[in-house]
Amino acid sequence: MLFNLTRLTGWLLALFSLPAHALTIFACQPDWASLAKVHAPEAEVFSATTAFQDPHFIQARPSLINKMRQADLVICSGAELEVGWLPELQRQSRNAKVSPGGEGLFFTTDYVAVLDKHDHVDRSMGDVHAGGNPHVQFAVADMINISQALSDKLQQLDPKRAAQYLQAGEAFRQRWAAKMLIWKNRALSLKGKKVVGYHATYRYLFAWLGMTQVADLEPKPGVSPTTAHLTQLAKLDPSNIYAIVYASHQNSQAAKWLAERTLLPTIVLPQSVGGNEQSHDLIALIDNSINLLLASSR
Amino acid sequence: MKVKWLINAVVMGCSGSVFANTGPIISGPDVSVVLDGFYQDGQRAFSNRDEGFGLGHTELGLTGSVDDKFRGVLTGIFESHHGSTEIELEEAFIETLALPAGLKIKAGRFLSEFGYLNSKHTHEDAFTERPGVYRALLGSHYFDDGIQVSALLPTEFYLAVSAEAFSGKKMDAGFDDPATVGVVAGKIETGSDIGDSNSWMLGLSVLRNGNGHMQFGEHAHDHSEHEHEHEHGGHDHSSHDHGEHNHGPAYTGRMLYGADLTWKWAPQGNYKYQNLRFTAEYLYLDDLYDERFSSLDGAPSSLSGFYGAFVYQFNPNWSVSSRYSQFDHMSNHDVHGHGDHAHGHFLDEQLKEIDFAIAWHSSHFGVVRAQVSQQDYLDKRDNIVSLQYIMTFGAHGAHAF
Repeated sequence: MLFNLTRLTGWLLALFSLPAHALTIFACQPDWASLAKVHAPEAEVFSATTAFQDPHFIQARPSLINKMRQADLVICSGAELEVGWLPELQRQSRNAKVSPGGEGLFFTTDYVAVLDKHDHVDRSMGDVHAGGNPHVQFAVADMINISQALSDKLQQLDPKRAAQYLQAGEAFRQRWAAKMLIWKNRALSLKGKKVVGYHATYRYLFAWLGMTQVADLEPKPGVSPTTAHLTQLAKLDPSNIYAIVYASHQNSQAAKWLAERTLLPTIVLPQSVGGNEQSHDLIALIDNSINLLLASSR
Repeated sequence: MKVKWLINAVVMGCSGSVFANTGPIISGPDVSVVLDGFYQDGQRAFSNRDEGFGLGHTELGLTGSVDDKFRGVLTGIFESHHGSTEIELEEAFIETLALPAGLKIKAGRFLSEFGYLNSKHTHEDAFTERPGVYRALLGSHYFDDGIQVSALLPTEFYLAVSAEAFSGKKMDAGFDDPATVGVVAGKIETGSDIGDSNSWMLGLSVLRNGNGHMQFGEHAHDHSEHEHEHEHGGHDHSSHDHGEHNHGPAYTGRMLYGADLTWKWAPQGNYKYQNLRFTAEYLYLDDLYDERFSSLDGAPSSLSGFYGAFVYQFNPNWSVSSRYSQFDHMSNHDVHGHGDHAHGHFLDEQLKEIDFAIAWHSSHFGVVRAQVSQQDYLDKRDNIVSLQYIMTFGAHGAHAF
């Protein structure tokens, strides 16, 4: 009996004691995994998706449920980007920490000046998010804010390593701020350029660089390109347009079709960290995206 | 969002007197509507979908958090059947949100976790109807009043277990004095990924139906007569005289076992443009009846069936699916109890179905489907053509794997 009691106490202690290991972090996109690694170098970080997957269409599969079960912190874009799978993962993983209202749930869009918010959303408008455009891995100026909030969150969840998180966050923000100056300068020639896009994936990057997406290969957000719509786009005056831009996870057919007819160059940008060989982290992602945009001189 | 607005108005109206002017209003529950309409030029065995125009599983669902510890779900079903509209409560349950150790408790009326398809809403299906073995042994989908305890085990790989207890009235074989807790069920499930492109899940289920086996007794006679009519419904090709009409299974036994395998593929795991899904299930029904019936001529000791289904979405708007299913069972011929012995005999029967469907997805929320089914049953071959739409509006919950 005594033996059993000691054993039971041991079990209970093991159950309730604070984890000695670093945090386990589940990121919905590789960009947030990359950000997490920089901010919490000792943490175990997992990305649920890759740059080659459309983040709207992810399966709430067993492996992800199990990863979320183990997570101390879940970092997602929010603004309904993951609405088709994240709620199911939260329900099935039974991890209250990272469920709605839990302290381990972090949405980056909460710390971004979100663009294109809508007061009224109807599905006839296509896949429009009332909360605004959720593709904030390219919200260059807001990354400072996201970093600050993430750093605070990490300190709150794992106070023992607070100093480490504080330092890592500050170092990142310094690097990022320095990079922002370099990027802005390097991309000066892109200012005022008009592009044809595919979905509003690069809304934030274009806005920051002073570029405009004047047309979309998608007839409506989330609706795949149709021949009728592309035929309309083919009538655009190409002399006004810089390029056709699409992302690493998107089908190239529509862009190629339009490029053939308009003789516009096409640019494939990484959707996320890992979208091409160069984009190995968040800084490299922006770096490389700007380089690719610049490379398309005509 | 008119519905949502309406609900909000109702919620506000109700709470208005108590919490007048307390600032921001808590958002109302998520309201979801599924519209399912069809036309078909025949009727499948063990099915409730009539020939001709009809409404299938028209759902009205409400979900919301009760507080930080509970979530509630209410789903009502409207279905047309022989010219009248049937209303059924498919789900009305609460579930815990914050139990420790990966535990979850569900209570109320809900879909059993048995098998792969059963816990899914029919609007997620790739075919107009579930395979024959599901229709015959689970009444297409088994939901009942009860309680479920489930756990996600703290293993490195995904391992989920669940245990359920139900009233079992829908699966009652006709007992005079049925057990209060008629059905208990359990499931174990695992799954993983193979690279970025492949994911799989495997499940084993068992269901013990305390009132499931054909009983020998005073009233056994009446009961088997009744069964008899049911089975023969198929013979004159009208499961129409569905007797007292319940949506329960046509065959019950004491033990039902299931094994299911699901495998999904998408290039680099990108499901938007292209993906392939495969599911196969095997169901085995055992311990069918009282000893005195099992000694009759042709009495099988068990029934079983399976299906295998492929769904290939080849672009964001189109998918094709095909399915083969089989159900080996028996028909009763004048089986009844008499004094201390039984009369009659059983004959082996087999239902074979091949389905082929093509679906146009207007978006993530709308599907129009055309399906051709070839049914071989009772020495007769039927070709059934079905047209169906399933459209959803309002909130749309995320789907399970």
